[in-house]
Amino acid sequence: MIDEIALVEELQNIQTKEKAFRILIKEYKERLYWHIRKIVISHDDADDVLQNTFIKVFKGIDNFKQDSKLYSWMYRIATNESITFINKRARERNIDITEMKQELVSNLQSDRWFSGNDIELILQEAVATLPEKQQLVFNMKYFDHMKYQEISDILDTSVGGLKASYFHAVKKIELFIKKNSLNLKTKIKS
Amino acid sequence: MRENDEHTLDWKLSDDIKTGFTVPENYFKGIEDDFSLNLIEEELPKNNVFEIPTTYFEEFDHHIIEKIKPKKGKIINLKKIKLIPVAATIALIIFFGTNFLLNNNPELSSNEIVNWVDININTISSDDIAIAFTDINFDDIDPYVTIKSEDIIESLINSDDIDFLIEDANINEIN
Repeated sequence: MIDEIALVEELQNIQTKEKAFRILIKEYKERLYWHIRKIVISHDDADDVLQNTFIKVFKGIDNFKQDSKLYSWMYRIATNESITFINKRARERNIDITEMKQELVSNLQSDRWFSGNDIELILQEAVATLPEKQQLVFNMKYFDHMKYQEISDILDTSVGGLKASYFHAVKKIELFIKKNSLNLKTKIKS
Repeated sequence: MRENDEHTLDWKLSDDIKTGFTVPENYFKGIEDDFSLNLIEEELPKNNVFEIPTTYFEEFDHHIIEKIKPKKGKIINLKKIKLIPVAATIALIIFFGTNFLLNNNPELSSNEIVNWVDININTISSDDIAIAFTDINFDDIDPYVTIKSEDIIESLINSDDIDFLIEDANINEIN
């Protein structure tokens, strides 16, 4: 467990910045990667966004005032970078965000870096239909096993609001899976 | 305590006596929702279905460190900025500055400015632009954001290089 306050001090000191940054990357790269990956879906895109995230962290660390946890701050940057990435892609393609997310998921079946079965693919499709906040809350709570308070610090939303978002997200996913599993079973039978 | 019904199902504490325990607001409603969620979550897949190249995380650190290291003999990637508005703005500044020095008359007609830009736009080299923008870190510039003309003008006006640019201007062409 790293001493966050000491690490921030080293990051904000020009003499020790690079050494401290290496520690930061080592400590947080995997957690941030998987958070980003669940949003942007593709490995190559997640790699780009993760790099942009760390570069922003490196450039912005001098202005970090420690009014939140370092990890919450980095997670927030990663989230914003991921959303910006998707928005940019959608603008380039002249489609809306929901359509863009669904398009990203539709490519999963042929993606070499996806190993899920049919039902796991349907789950990803279900998650892609959720509004942005519900999707983020669902990913963080269900896949990342984060506590509501941690999510609240990152998304700047009340715990009560998050619980409501998660509840609605899970209900929607359940409905989506039931409907599409039925179609899947019908397809298999025929 | 009520008599005769002490051990019946109807027995209860007098309404005057409370347990002293309280619960958060909507607690019991929350229990129902949580139970419902747990049932659904039990049925959902839990595996991480995304894969990565085997050495991805091992190589990642090196890539990032290389990106953040200051580069020697910085090469400015001019493809990152839209050159036309930049070159045009520099041309305007040089034109304005040169005419001011020559004629000490800052009042220029818009036709003179437009004509000079049209003639000289192609004579502004990439090196001139690079020298004029030594204070700007192009790596910070989002390639999808156009630099505002006002920002360029302000940068040039405050730059020590403005005199250099004016001296290098082709004065004969203006005359």
